[in-house]
Amino acid sequence: MRFWILLQRDVLVAWRKKSNIYQPLVFQLLIVTMFPLGLGAGAQTLQKIAPAVVWILALISTLITLENIFKDDYEDGSLALYALSGLSLPLAVLAKAAAHWITTGLPVILFAPVIAVLLHLPAYAYGVLMLSLLIATPIFSLLGTVGSALIMNLKNGGMLLSVLIMPLLAPVLIFGAGAVLETTLGNTPTGHLSLLAGCFVLSLTLAPIAAAAAIKVNLE
Amino acid sequence: MNKIVKFYHEMGSPPSFYRITGYWLKPLFILALVLTIYGLIDGLFFAPPDYQQGDSYRIMFVHVPAAWMSMFIYFVIGVCGIIAFVWRMKVAEAVMMASAPIGALFTALTLLTGMLWGKPMWGTYWDWDARMTSELILLFLYIGVMGIYSAYDDDPRKAARLAALVAIIGLINLPIIRYSVEWWTSIHQGASISLMGGNSGIKDWSMLRPLLVMALATKFYYLYSMLHRARTYLLRTEQNKSWVTKQIIEN
Repeated sequence: MRFWILLQRDVLVAWRKKSNIYQPLVFQLLIVTMFPLGLGAGAQTLQKIAPAVVWILALISTLITLENIFKDDYEDGSLALYALSGLSLPLAVLAKAAAHWITTGLPVILFAPVIAVLLHLPAYAYGVLMLSLLIATPIFSLLGTVGSALIMNLKNGGMLLSVLIMPLLAPVLIFGAGAVLETTLGNTPTGHLSLLAGCFVLSLTLAPIAAAAAIKVNLE
Repeated sequence: MNKIVKFYHEMGSPPSFYRITGYWLKPLFILALVLTIYGLIDGLFFAPPDYQQGDSYRIMFVHVPAAWMSMFIYFVIGVCGIIAFVWRMKVAEAVMMASAPIGALFTALTLLTGMLWGKPMWGTYWDWDARMTSELILLFLYIGVMGIYSAYDDDPRKAARLAALVAIIGLINLPIIRYSVEWWTSIHQGASISLMGGNSGIKDWSMLRPLLVMALATKFYYLYSMLHRARTYLLRTEQNKSWVTKQIIEN
């Protein structure tokens, strides 16, 4: 019950500040413009790098939002209240991750086709692209809670957050972008998607515990 | 039996750890120095040249031990991280944080010597092959552990606990990274370049001997350097305790 209340509250807070939602998308659009400018606008070149670029953009645009998952709650003291409320802390973390996914992951998935069109991704790869992002964006949010919990009371933690998160996200990127790439090459992406789903299950079970542990240390 | 238990408990307390390891530093240093000198001379001058790579394979005598150490030390950090996080042992924190820079250095050395080796052998300094990539990611893991510690430098105990958490997460992730990277390269470029064919490739004892000596030398160097750092770490974090004051007065 409290899980849903917390989720609702977080989604509402994010929704009230619309820039939270459109900022990652604008960022993606800005960066994707730079690729043709830098590489030349040849459709073939762009098509080749499209699976990777769409994926990396989704990843980076999520990464820039992670820093603040816990920051506000830590600074105004509500995080300490969650810890005291009797709601188990990993569950509270899960609610935060879910709220973060709804407000950043979901828009990123829905926006991915726009980026894909701009990069001439073959039409038959769209389904796999959306599916791979659907499995992977929750992983971004879940692992993001771990990184965010580790740096929540630092002033300039963004760079450190990237260093902490990047090794964890490397396998996700390999399997996710790999799935799209395999599709564009005419192979079946099932293997990559299954491994991606495995990463999702692993981070769903372990990330909230790790993030809760980090929060406990930080609140001591 | 009693002696072992007593030793174990003594190593857990900072003052006894400091006192006991004080006797070890010099022998460890001498062992490391002698073995390094012997291993390098043996490897660089007396080991036979490789039938395929000629003399340039000799960088292996630095590269391979450094690579072993880079992984071994991360394992030590992870285990110490678990001990430090669960039982809050100060000595485990000290060993963990003392090991991190040494491990990072060995990782950097591995990458560097690998690149220098790669240029004459593969014709390129860098290739995104599975081992190189996972070694690079290992370097990021080391940087993460050290980064989180130095970010919280006003509270060393809290910093060490958070660093321990990062180390544990890294330890869980290491196999995942390893295999994902391996599958990734096998998908893209077939079998990666492997001139060594693993360690089973070396059959000649006169080639194996300097390698093993160097592996021992790096172990002793690590022990020496780590204990030295851990002792300083304990002095710094325990500076308000009476045993530190006594140490300083005695010296």
